[in-house]
Amino acid sequence: MYIAAYYSFVCSAVKAAGRVGRHAPMQSIAVKKDNKPPKVFKAVITTSYKEIFAYRSQMAVSVFVQPIYFLVHYFIWRAIFQTREQVSGFTFDQMILYFAVSSLIEFLNWDNSGYTLQRLIQTGQFITFQLRPVSHIYFSFFQKVGQRILAFLIELIPVLCFYILFGVRFSPAMPFWALTSIILGFVMSFLIRYTIGTCAFWFVKTDGISRAVLLFNGICSGAFLPLNLYPEGFQKFLFFLPFQFASYVPVRVFIGHYELAGMTMPIPRIVLVQAIMVAVMLLLNRALWYLGVKRFTGVGA
Amino acid sequence: MKRDRESKVRDLRFSALGVYLQGMKTSLASRMAYRGDFIMSMFIMMIVEFAGPLITWIIYSNGASFPGWNQYEVLLLQGIFLLSRGISFPFFMGIVWNTIGRVQEGTFDLLLIKPRSILLMSIATAFDSEDLGKLIGGILIFRIALKNLPPQPLSHWISFMVLFLFSLIMMFAFGLFMSGLGIVWVGNYRIYDIFMTVMEFGMYPKSIFSKSFQSILTYVIPVSLLASHPASALLGSVDGTVLPALFSSVIFLLLGIAFYFKMVKNYTSAGG
Repeated sequence: MYIAAYYSFVCSAVKAAGRVGRHAPMQSIAVKKDNKPPKVFKAVITTSYKEIFAYRSQMAVSVFVQPIYFLVHYFIWRAIFQTREQVSGFTFDQMILYFAVSSLIEFLNWDNSGYTLQRLIQTGQFITFQLRPVSHIYFSFFQKVGQRILAFLIELIPVLCFYILFGVRFSPAMPFWALTSIILGFVMSFLIRYTIGTCAFWFVKTDGISRAVLLFNGICSGAFLPLNLYPEGFQKFLFFLPFQFASYVPVRVFIGHYELAGMTMPIPRIVLVQAIMVAVMLLLNRALWYLGVKRFTGVGA
Repeated sequence: MKRDRESKVRDLRFSALGVYLQGMKTSLASRMAYRGDFIMSMFIMMIVEFAGPLITWIIYSNGASFPGWNQYEVLLLQGIFLLSRGISFPFFMGIVWNTIGRVQEGTFDLLLIKPRSILLMSIATAFDSEDLGKLIGGILIFRIALKNLPPQPLSHWISFMVLFLFSLIMMFAFGLFMSGLGIVWVGNYRIYDIFMTVMEFGMYPKSIFSKSFQSILTYVIPVSLLASHPASALLGSVDGTVLPALFSSVIFLLLGIAFYFKMVKNYTSAGG
């Protein structure tokens, strides 16, 4: 069923770009004038949006789930702050703001590109992407964009309203840098998951590795707790990993103060570091991809 | 004599326990096809369970605390919670994934035409060996907490065991509600999220929540029975709300059973 749905999705994506006759040879399509990447990507975004729209009720579950998670955290921290004014430099309001912003960023960042790529490799369907005139990484990224546009409408906005009604004040300290950092975090989270999926070229089934990395990502990205609550040595280690740039950095930039491992940085500088790390991660992924694709063998799917 | 023994073996094989054990064996055998991934997944399941206790450890190592609870008492509570999950998830909570997946694929019909209870068949074909990692994680946390707390008298252990049984009953009731929902809400794996979030309240001392929330967690959905009450019983500080909570849990279970079979009755398909 998934395969059929996926196939129809891909066909409709390409057709929506207005380029494919059923029997048109791929090479000739590749050189057609209206086959420029932006048009293909726009079609991928539109089709992903429509596809995920069919499962909007699943997404809407977040409107129930997230406020409950938030309430649990609210009670935990309220109990803790009864005995002291600050915890690792956070006041109660800042801590609640941290969790609220972090959860909203998680809505934007979530994707299953790694799992999808792993399934394609495991089932051999990846071979169909090798025949297409579109790079899979861009295809996958714009799928995420399409899906997250709907998540923005169905998950993020209602939960944001709940937070505002709850009394959380959302006002980014530096709106431009906050937006830039959130966009970079969006790309970084995609690259992390996509790179996990790329490992399927070596391991075929990557459920275990995916779980390990996603757990590590959860701990090290600041989604569970602000990273500056961890022991100092561990914070230094975290600084050099890509995970903090997906969630912790955007949240701290939103709040307007970045600190990790006893090190503070002006907001523009940490956003610049984030941009560099995104570029490094992209290069790392491309290198892995280059090596991985050489290993891939398929006999038609 | 021999015929008598053969008939006993046959009876055992076709008893509920025999069917369940057979399902367990098949599930393990199929999972062993990817041994490396299985071992890694099980290990990760164990590590995942440490996330809650990790938060507790970090909170306490930053000098903060939950009022009225020391670090190892909270870890004990969380250990009990994880132990309860560690038993329920591999052994019977797989019913949820199983039901949702089968309804989505249309293979739920195959269980319905079997000459055994649909509930038994759904549980027997849902043994989740990876989740044994959760059990190991729970045992470890429980053990660490116990080692750092004073020894408890036998009476505390007995009341703990009774309440722990109710913790498992609550888990089973949750499983029934989730599976029932999975029959009508086709293909929605996020049903899990809904209940896991509600269960999250059970992972922390009841006293940190507001009075109104405490009432909900005791009388409406007795999540406090998952760990808070059993931990209090083991520590010898069980309060008067435990009896209404036990009563609520029985009601919750009965409602869960009724709901599950009602949903099974409403199930429609075109033959898989």
